[in-house]
Amino acid sequence: MLAAAMAVESEPGAKTNASTFTDVLRANQSMVFSIAYHFLRDRAAAEEVAQEVFLQLYRNFDGIRREQVTFWLRKVASNRCIDYVRKRKVHAAVPLDDVPEPSVSGQPDDLLLNRKLQALVASLPETPRLVMVLRYQEDLMPDEIARVLEMPVRTVKSHLQRSLAMLREKIGRSMGEIR
Amino acid sequence: MDDLERQLDLECHLKDALTRKQAPDWFEAKVLAAAARETSAPAGFWQRLMAGARLRWASAVLASAAVLASGLAWQHERAVRERTEGEAAKAQLQLALKVTRVKLRKIGQKLDQMERN
Amino acid sequence: MRIACWLLIALLPAVAQELKLPPGLDKLADKATETVDVTMDQSLLQLASKFLSDKDPDEARAKKLVAGLKGVYVRSFQFEHPGEYDQSDLTMLRAQLKPPVWQRIVGVRSKKDGENAEVFLASDGNSVTGLAVICADPKELTIVHIIGQIKPEDLRDLGGNFGIPKFEIGGSHKSDSKEE
Repeated sequence: MLAAAMAVESEPGAKTNASTFTDVLRANQSMVFSIAYHFLRDRAAAEEVAQEVFLQLYRNFDGIRREQVTFWLRKVASNRCIDYVRKRKVHAAVPLDDVPEPSVSGQPDDLLLNRKLQALVASLPETPRLVMVLRYQEDLMPDEIARVLEMPVRTVKSHLQRSLAMLREKIGRSMGEIR
Repeated sequence: MDDLERQLDLECHLKDALTRKQAPDWFEAKVLAAAARETSAPAGFWQRLMAGARLRWASAVLASAAVLASGLAWQHERAVRERTEGEAAKAQLQLALKVTRVKLRKIGQKLDQMERN
Repeated sequence: MRIACWLLIALLPAVAQELKLPPGLDKLADKATETVDVTMDQSLLQLASKFLSDKDPDEARAKKLVAGLKGVYVRSFQFEHPGEYDQSDLTMLRAQLKPPVWQRIVGVRSKKDGENAEVFLASDGNSVTGLAVICADPKELTIVHIIGQIKPEDLRDLGGNFGIPKFEIGGSHKSDSKEE
């Protein structure tokens, strides 16, 4: 069964076309891992979540069209991240206004700024956090994010606007104007 | 810098900050090993055979056929089971070799670095 | 998180013997955030080998390596915090990797980040019969244990040269220990 799942021959109308599970895994592992990592900010947890996503893909591989795999992976990765947090109560939802400012101040520096932004994004409540990750890691437009997360486009846009405003304010206060 | 420019700058920085990270070295091997373990043997051949059996006549023929079928079924099941276990073993081996290579490579790099210093 | 990997490749001249893993190792899985645990004896290796493809270069190389092996064992642990494993377990392990069967050929120690790595080879005088690598980092412990005949080209394929200097099978050699 594993061999079959991992070596599907290309046939007309085949749902997975010529891709094998291994090909899909190889091509998408960084994407899935990164979504989990930027959401959870914990490598081990991200690896655990990413592995669960791919195992779920493996179980359902024959029923997913090749052109839908990326969408499916993003969707399942997003859901799994939320489930992970809720199950473990790792990150209680924090109102945006209560998100603390970065503790280290100093001259703007790319690496430092990146870390601060990563930390700030990770401190957002779950849904806005996911929206930000899908927008800026995956470069998805609001309507695409809305489809992945199954929410109205206007809700996605609202999350983006509020999160960006908060980030700008907090980064601006601690590190000076973003250039 | 006006608001739009600041917005675009922040978005640019966010893309940079949230750029994709490489999955861990042996992530692929671990997933494949886990997937191989999940693969389970199919439902017994006998169950499928008996569920469809309706014939009452020629019991001797049926008995002979059953003996022959059981032999074939056993072989088939064994082949399927072996394939499943073999793929799982292969995945485990690949994982072990990957871990080995990564660690040895890191040691080599560390040695090179020290020699350069 | 780093994965602790103990890479032990034990090869005995006449009869392959598994290294005795310290009892504390089994308990590490409970503390680890992530574990890799591979235990393959000769029959399992032979089974795996049947499913390695000659057409795939990586699998063909693995098949060639596995042909002479009797066992492959990996224990790899990642921890959230440093200090989760006992150094005395490593001492017990190293005690089994001594001459005349085993020789330590590489030792790398970094005081800066606390990383330690050692490579041991076993030989029967004519060929390499075992390879052991212990990677002990503050939040990571890896042990890999491989038993069986390992050809020089397979050894190179497994880990490259990594600076093993002038290793002579069966002869004396100078262990290349480096510390930063």
